[in-house]
Parts: sequence; C-alpha cells; structure tokens
Amino acid sequence: MNCPRLKSWFSDRYDFEEIKGFAKQKLVPTHKYEIWYYTGGITLFLFIIQFITGMVLSFYYIPYFEQAHKSIIEIVTKLNMGWFFRSLHHWGAQIAIVVLFIHVWSALLLKAYRKPREFLWLSGFILLGISIFFGLSGYLLLWDERAFAAVRVATGGAGNLPVVGEFIKSFLRGGIDVTGDTLTRFYAFHVSVLPLVTFFLIGLHILLVQYHGMSVPLSVQKNERKEIPFFPNLFYKDLVIWLVVLGIVVTLATLAPPEIGKKADPLAPAPENIKPEWYFLFLFQTLKLFPGEIFGLNGETIAILLISAGIFFFFLIPFFDRKSQRGEKSTLFTWIGIIYFLYFLIMTAIGFIS
Amino acid sequence: MAIVGILFSGVNLFAQQEKIDVFPTVPYERFIVYQNLIIFWIGIIGLIVIIKMKLREVERTQKMGIDKEEKDIPLLD
Repeated sequence: MNCPRLKSWFSDRYDFEEIKGFAKQKLVPTHKYEIWYYTGGITLFLFIIQFITGMVLSFYYIPYFEQAHKSIIEIVTKLNMGWFFRSLHHWGAQIAIVVLFIHVWSALLLKAYRKPREFLWLSGFILLGISIFFGLSGYLLLWDERAFAAVRVATGGAGNLPVVGEFIKSFLRGGIDVTGDTLTRFYAFHVSVLPLVTFFLIGLHILLVQYHGMSVPLSVQKNERKEIPFFPNLFYKDLVIWLVVLGIVVTLATLAPPEIGKKADPLAPAPENIKPEWYFLFLFQTLKLFPGEIFGLNGETIAILLISAGIFFFFLIPFFDRKSQRGEKSTLFTWIGIIYFLYFLIMTAIGFIS
Repeated sequence: MAIVGILFSGVNLFAQQEKIDVFPTVPYERFIVYQNLIIFWIGIIGLIVIIKMKLREVERTQKMGIDKEEKDIPLLD
C-alpha cells in the first residue's frame, strides 16, 4: 500500500527519517546464546495479549462477590466467543509466567545482571513479582472454592512475617478474612494498580535495554564481535517467533479451556487436597518441610523468613557477584543459579505429584 | 416423612453444581471451532513463510553489501 500524499502529510509534520535512522543503526550481537534474547520479547507479546483479552473480559465481568462467579459463567456460556477469550486469557497468563521464568533464569545463568545492567535486573525482578501477583489477583476473580482457599493461604502466609505481616495481610484482604472486600480490592489491583505499575516498569526496562544494549555472555565476549541490525533482521525473527507463540496460545485456548469450579463459600472448609497454582507450588512444598514449632518459635514464620531471605538474596544478586562485576567468570554464582532452578523444578514436581 | 424426604433429596439435587460447559457442546459448533483453528494455522504458517522469504532477501542484499547507501552517489537534478 503506497500512499505518497499521506506519507508527505506526516513527513511535513514529523521527522521520521531520524527515527528510521535510529532503528537502522541499532545493532544486536549474534553468538551461540542469542536464542535467549528472544525470551524478553515473547514475554512482552504475551503481556500484550493479556491486556487485550483482559480488557475484553472486563466489559462483562462483575467484581462483586455475589455475582462474580455467575458473570464468568455467563461470559463462557452466553457470550459469543466468551469461552475463547477467557481461555486465551488463562493460557496467556500461564505461558507468560513460564516464559518470564525462562527469561529470568537465562539472565541469571548468562550473568546479564552484571555491571552496568544492575537496574535491568532489579526492574525485571520486580516485574516478576508483579506478574505473580497478577496471577494471584486474577485467580481470585473467578471466586471459586480453589481460588478462595489459595488466596486465604497466600495472604495468611504473608501475615506470618514479623512486624509487617498483619498489616500486609489486612491490606491485601481489605479486612481480617478473605471476603467480598478482598475480591473488590484484588479486582482494583488486577485491572488498575498492577497494569499501571507494569507499564511504567516495562517502559523503564525496555529503555534500559536500548541504553545499555544487549548483554553478551562472558564466555563469548572475548570472541570477535559479530552484530546484525535489529531492524529488519531481528525484527522479522521476532515476528516469526511471536506468530508461533500466538499459534500455541490459541491452540491451547481452543483445545483445553479452563474449567469453572464450584462457587466459593467463605463459611465452608477448604476442599481436601487443594493446591495453589503451579508457580506457588514450590513455596507451598517448602512450607510443608518445616514443623509447626522450631525451638519454641512458630515454624511457619521461620519458613517464611527463610524464603524471604532467599528471594531477597536472589533480588540483590548483581551486588553479591563481585567477580561478574569485574568481568571475570563466576562459577559459584552459576552454581547458585542452577541450585535455585533445580530447587524450583523439583519442589514444583513434588507439589504436583503429592 | 416420605414427602419431607423427597423434598430434601430434591433440594439436594438442585444444590449440587452441574458441570459448566466451557466449550461449545453442539457438534456443528465444535466442527466450526476446529475448522477455524486449522484455517488459523494455515494463516500463521503462510505469514511465517512470507516473513522468512523477506528475511532471506534482506540477508542476501546485506551480504552483497548493496543495502548500504553510497556516500558519493551523484544526485539527480
């Protein structure tokens, strides 16, 4: 489609040549680990799918505890393609979190967090936390037995933190227990607070990537630097991968739409053998390892403190790994990364099987 | 007593949640869904082929070096 008059209308008002020049100048290193560069773009693409399908669902969802479950049943059973958009939103979220974990692990193992990219790691880690909270808050909106029990356990767990625990628990729940107020609050988080924070952080994260350029792993840094233009080479490759990811999400959404469980009853006990979503299973299993009491102290509190310490260490890893900062090989932190990864995998698998 | 028993079991039946159909149940609608999925994949594969062809062309021109603008090229009046 060639519209010279339209093009000249815009070029009389905006200097696109400079933007084109910048896009053409941007170069991306090419080496044997370049496949990991695509994980960030895939995560971004999946987030875009989530925003679009989420906006569509929000036209019909009712964030009030008496009608929430029913509104989802109506979306799925009465609206044209309602089941498909809900299924797309569900599978988009699951795959986004998988790819996000892959993105984080690849950054960890390839030491992409080393100087000068510390803020990239920090902003990315916060985005990981936000994505998990997106998952938890979205999960409750179904207002079924499983979601209700999962949020009760998750917010109750946060309440075991010393000093700030009770405040965090009542802030998240909007009261003492999980009630209709919690649903409204989580809806506000899910459609308003978290998207705003995510926009800002993703913008910052991408800006930092443009500023610093792509990180090259230490093992290939000494080799002769080969680069390819981002536009159009990497852009076209990104498009191909995004199309494949779209195909996978649509296929899963069509062939395996998520079920709708029984409506939550705040007065009923949690169903037997209830488990949280898969990305919480490793935490759930870790809590099970600790006894109720350790040297007279609450076992759950100690467990949560140790888990928090582990996560905090993970968050600040760029500042602990001094060797990578100096551009040297850091075997210890590679092993720490592998241990974190294996622990996550094994505990998640045990959580599934048990 | 019998009437109370019947009423109670009737209420119980209504109280049990029916399984909610999250996928179209009518066979014709299912057929349409699967057909559209196949058409969708044909479209995706077609787009991928076109993009890969364009990419191959771009890489070919870059390898030949003809994509770069010549600095001393004379301008047409």
